[in-house]
Amino acid sequence: MEPIASHENWRNCFSEVAPGLLLFARQWVQSAADAEDIVQDAFVKFWRRNHDIDNRGLLYAAVRSLALDFIRRDARRARREATAFAEAEPPIDPHFELEDDTQSALAAAVESLPRDQREVLVLKIWNDLTFSEIAGALGISQNTAASRYRYALSNLKKTFQPQ
Amino acid sequence: MNDFSELENELRKLRPAQPSSVLFERVGEALENSRAGIKERRSLASRWGGLETAHPWWSLGFGLAAAAVLILFAVVTMERREERQQSVAQNSAASETRPAPLGTKPYTSLGKFVPAGGTNVVYNARDEGLHFADGSERPLRRVRYNTQQTWRWRNPETGASLRVSYPSEEIVLIPVSGQ
Repeated sequence: MEPIASHENWRNCFSEVAPGLLLFARQWVQSAADAEDIVQDAFVKFWRRNHDIDNRGLLYAAVRSLALDFIRRDARRARREATAFAEAEPPIDPHFELEDDTQSALAAAVESLPRDQREVLVLKIWNDLTFSEIAGALGISQNTAASRYRYALSNLKKTFQPQ
Repeated sequence: MNDFSELENELRKLRPAQPSSVLFERVGEALENSRAGIKERRSLASRWGGLETAHPWWSLGFGLAAAAVLILFAVVTMERREERQQSVAQNSAASETRPAPLGTKPYTSLGKFVPAGGTNVVYNARDEGLHFADGSERPLRRVRYNTQQTWRWRNPETGASLRVSYPSEEIVLIPVSGQ
């Protein structure tokens, strides 16, 4: 097994996956700072153990697991965030870099999806994971992943019409 | 191919928010620290006999030594507890006498407690047949009784009560008349 010292390309790898990882982490935590903490921990663990980046399902599973731990650990904050979420207040840190109203409407439609559909959509669209990798990361079957993705798109189509 | 392709294209145009530049520095530092930690562990391992395996022998030795200390501690604690229990049992046996009849002067060893009664419940009696005592030609019937004796004391001033209950076994030899 190669020592970590030889992996000086972590920067390239991280800059490629970080935006998608952050978006994925923010399915559970609204704060961008908390999401960055989670992504940092997950990536460092993944990289330190010399996992192959092709086996990236593990990286997303680590992000998910750390995010759920974070929620359990900080129940009070989670309640506050859940309340904020329920009241549909706009998040302080936007999930996307928006260019126009159409994109704002689409982003809002994505954020209003049920969480189980949204996490599959995020992994598929903005992280380019296959259904097999999504199934591994979320601990669900491949068919469930595919069906949640279809439900997500179907729901989005109902609420969002491109102008 | 599928009717969602247009929507998927729109979604892909959305760009997720970029991480802060600080995050890259933090990840770099964390990786650097973990690398330093690994180097330190390796140098420690080599110092302890050049072992670089994931579970070096010396750590196994420490584990076994710690387990041995724990077992020793547990054994000593159990022995002390048994000694204490024995001394308690002896104390009560030494001071255990049948309570004096009601109205008599209370036991000095019990302070202000006065006897309040006692019961002797026979819960099993077994006739073990005829026996001959040593050197005797007269048969004796041996009966074994299993009983539970309970004695109570009461402190008339405070109303506190003390109850001692213990099992006992008695063997009674009854002479058999040869009529």
